[in-house]
Amino acid sequence: MAENKTTTTGENNLLLVENLSVTVRNSGKKLIQNLNFSIPKGEIFGLVGESGSGKSLTATVILGMLSKSLEVTSGTVKLGQSEITSLSEKELRNIRGHDSAYLSQNYQSFFTPFIKVGKQFIEIIRCHTNMSRKEAKKVAIHWLNRVHLPAERVFNSYPDELSGGQLQRASIASAIMFRPKLIIADEPTTALDVLTGERILDLLCELKEELNCSILLISHDLRHIINRTQTVGVMYGGQIVEIGKTSAVVADPIHPYTNLLLQSRLKLSNQPPLELQTMLGEPGLIAEEGCPFSKRCPSVMKSCSNLVPMNSIGTHHSAACHLVKAEREERYVTH
Amino acid sequence: MLHINSISKTYHSKPALSDISLTVQPSESIGIIGESGSGKSTLGKIILGLEKPDQGDVHFRGSNLHTLKGQAIKALRRHLQIVFQDPAGSLNPKLPVWKSVVEPLENYPDVIPSFLNEVRHDRKKMAEVLFQKVGLSPELLERYPHQLSGGQKQRIAVARGISLEPDLLVCDEPTSSLDVSVQAQVLNLLKKLQRDLNLSFLFISHDIAAVQFMCERIVVLKEGLVVDSFLTKDLFSQSRHPYTKLLVEMSMDQEYK
Repeated sequence: MAENKTTTTGENNLLLVENLSVTVRNSGKKLIQNLNFSIPKGEIFGLVGESGSGKSLTATVILGMLSKSLEVTSGTVKLGQSEITSLSEKELRNIRGHDSAYLSQNYQSFFTPFIKVGKQFIEIIRCHTNMSRKEAKKVAIHWLNRVHLPAERVFNSYPDELSGGQLQRASIASAIMFRPKLIIADEPTTALDVLTGERILDLLCELKEELNCSILLISHDLRHIINRTQTVGVMYGGQIVEIGKTSAVVADPIHPYTNLLLQSRLKLSNQPPLELQTMLGEPGLIAEEGCPFSKRCPSVMKSCSNLVPMNSIGTHHSAACHLVKAEREERYVTH
Repeated sequence: MLHINSISKTYHSKPALSDISLTVQPSESIGIIGESGSGKSTLGKIILGLEKPDQGDVHFRGSNLHTLKGQAIKALRRHLQIVFQDPAGSLNPKLPVWKSVVEPLENYPDVIPSFLNEVRHDRKKMAEVLFQKVGLSPELLERYPHQLSGGQKQRIAVARGISLEPDLLVCDEPTSSLDVSVQAQVLNLLKKLQRDLNLSFLFISHDIAAVQFMCERIVVLKEGLVVDSFLTKDLFSQSRHPYTKLLVEMSMDQEYK
């Protein structure tokens, strides 16, 4: 069987996360377990899962901003040539902004409320470079134009004078000013309208092409993941339970969690269902041993309480579930 | 049952709603769609009697909602309940949740909803029945809001919303702060309750897919104006307003485009 693309150490990978585990320092509680994924240059990778599944925590590790009460207990995070988990705070500062940039869901609090947006841009630029204020203003105006904002007006506005979409655009401008190689977009559209959100994603895709960077798109909105990403990782309880080419995962989900997630989402159709598919139990019900979803899984078996390894089902698709074996056999018979 | 006659509302000389008319029949579910700033929440507030329209009037069960006072408006409000977007903010953090659920019943001691008739002498039993109606385990009765998940809190808000057996339940973005799987559970629950209790529904949302799933009729608001109004089954019709078509297109998966 061909090795899964998403786990190989290719030269063209920008980000490589291997075997990453994060635990709480005091209690030893595992928050992320044995995470493996990689993002090639110029690609959009999606992470999807319910709240508390570890999506944003993964982003914090990649940015090197893990809270002091948590620690990385195993694994590596390689961004370009740098090994993030072993860098000092000073080295990390050089990486943030230049190599990686972060866009948050909470664009409202991105800017300080009582300082004009322009002044904050100049501050950011002068933190990273030796530019004069005048030069910095030019750069700021340039990037505000690039995200299709009325640059001069936004530059001279206070954050509360801008709309949500404008603020999110301004925060994108500030994130991409130093041409990062990786943009981490953590639920960038959740607080925005449908149309505004789509335009923000359009903008991100456009900038991705221009800057030739990669994007890690974290979202619980499956539609964005389906429409925008090439590869997707589905997280449950701190583990990736299924990973692969987005089209393959959506067309043929193996892990019951992925399957139920896809079925329970709302989508427009000519014949909307009378009832939506639902999952058993409450979110956050995570099995300590074996497959984290086993307590809510309709296809649970005895063996699920042991560690379930990742198995590939095709060249670009793998899942941590015993159903992979059945699916493989079925394909073998039918093909 | 609910008649809205050409209401307008202006905030700081900016029109929030202009000349809106709408009728809700008994046990009908209507979806109001719009982006933020379209006036959909203002409309919700006016229907609840929390805001007064500048022009026009709202008639609910035959009385003008904005001219009634005192006991009369209180009696009318019993039939008009709401479920808010933010379940955490709509529950009192210092009360065990069962007390929040039966609070409306305490405000209306004379009202005994049909489904609570057998347990009418015991407040806690009433809470239990309501919990059961929204699919919550009785173990959660004594919990405080912070000890519950978002989905559980929203179910509690729904339980409180139906506790007086209202005629009309206004839901303002009831599931937009919830995870996908939980959203499915809460929407299924609302749909089932609407059928079982013969409720009328006013479902305010920016998610056109949620409204398609929930409602028989859809009204599209844009900048305070009704730009489109149609039966849900005609959502994909060619005669839809261009703005509706745009919203539909944006909410589609790529594979269908």
